[in-house]
Amino acid sequence: MSCEETIQEIPLYCYGEVTAEAEENVEAHLAGCEKCRLELARHRVFLQALDARPQLAEAVLLAECRTQFRVKLAQHTDGRAHRSPFRAWAETLREFSRMHIPFRVPVGAMALLALGFFGARFTPEQFGGLGASVAGPMFSTVRSIESDATGNVQIAVDEVRRHMVSGKPRDPRVQELLLSAVREESNPGLRVESIGMLQHNSDSQAVRSALLDAVTKDPNAGVRLKALEGLKSFAGEETVRRTLASTLLHDEDPRVRMQAIELLTAHRDDALVGVLQNAVQKEDNDYVRARCRRLLAEMKASLGTF
Amino acid sequence: MPFAVGTISARVAAAPDESDLIRAAQAGDQDAFERLVRAYDQSVLRIAMNLLRSPDEARDVYQEAFLKVFRNLHSFRFDCSFHTWLYRIVTNICLDHLRRRKVRKEESTVVETEDGPMDRIGQVPERGPHSDPERRLWNTQLAGKINGALEALTPRERTVFELRHFEGLRLRAIGDMLGTTEEAAKNCLFRATQKMRMNLEAFV
Repeated sequence: MSCEETIQEIPLYCYGEVTAEAEENVEAHLAGCEKCRLELARHRVFLQALDARPQLAEAVLLAECRTQFRVKLAQHTDGRAHRSPFRAWAETLREFSRMHIPFRVPVGAMALLALGFFGARFTPEQFGGLGASVAGPMFSTVRSIESDATGNVQIAVDEVRRHMVSGKPRDPRVQELLLSAVREESNPGLRVESIGMLQHNSDSQAVRSALLDAVTKDPNAGVRLKALEGLKSFAGEETVRRTLASTLLHDEDPRVRMQAIELLTAHRDDALVGVLQNAVQKEDNDYVRARCRRLLAEMKASLGTF
Repeated sequence: MPFAVGTISARVAAAPDESDLIRAAQAGDQDAFERLVRAYDQSVLRIAMNLLRSPDEARDVYQEAFLKVFRNLHSFRFDCSFHTWLYRIVTNICLDHLRRRKVRKEESTVVETEDGPMDRIGQVPERGPHSDPERRLWNTQLAGKINGALEALTPRERTVFELRHFEGLRLRAIGDMLGTTEEAAKNCLFRATQKMRMNLEAFV
């Protein structure tokens, strides 16, 4: 190996990036060449000098990056969760198209044929029925595991699935679901929404019962107010009036009591005087009490039963 | 080469259950993904910081790289090691930044002062600064000169040099990351070393 060849190899030799054969040749040459040994020493000084470059403190920057990334990732996954069904479908299709599937064309043709076959049979909303779709399992719990004599394992799995149901609010199945949503304890917003939908069908006995139940039992004042709104057109009915009177006397929220007064006074009767007199005695809210007194005055009734 | 040890130890520590972690992350396990990020993010940030010498750009590279990993993890097929795949993403993003910088002809981080070339990035706190003022001044000047020499390299030469010298990665792995051969990476390193030595002649 010549001096020139050795000098060419020195940078890679220092990094241990030469072949075993080249390494042996370099070392053999260096053993007998003072000039090349000097060059090697100079190169090593150069490599050591490079370490003088300051290493920047990254701890703070790293912490910032991690926090920022967590936020970005949350936004990204949120965006994915809220992307439109069409976009999600298009993305799935695109990912699917990247897969290598043997006989892709005939398989695709068969899939399309099957889609057409089943699609023609399951389009209920076109015939006035309900449109429903079933998503994958949202949540599942293994309840029991048993094995039988054949060696098979039987696993009982409880699955919670999400169905999308669409239809007119008057549709019995939709109404049934809305009525069940009124009793959804964990979500007052959902109860308000479903009451809002149901109040347009409050001529149904089941709906009216649900609204009366919500007025007397729902722990959320907003839901009770919404239910009272739904009962507006039935404020003349005996059962509804009894509930309104009870609400005026017992509900803990003054806004609900005010709303009950408004509904009760829409159909004035003699029984109302007794309720209002009772309320004046018990009411601790100035505004509600003043409203009751004014109504009694309008009805030319005394403030108390004495 | 102070970083080589850190890089290797991070890799060894992550090795035993790394493929399980990757598979779990591919299946949508966010916790597994976060652990993967934690195993590598320090080296990713260091590479970006050393290559770009700008905390802001390094921060952008970190975000962009790991978002890219998150979006494309499903396509990782274990054909190469995860760190090669990840570093390929990181170095490509860094190369883009360096090329954009060249196009924009951005101001160099190295400026000439009365005391010689000074790297403005030196304003960023250093790890373990020397207490000897004379030694510190010498180091600051040398550091400015080194960064000036690095900036004179082409983006590819600079990336190969940084990854080999400061990160301690093998040329074969660097070739994989940059989508080139080991031989091409060798030639690149050789050119970079020659240029660096020429630019630092007065100092070493």
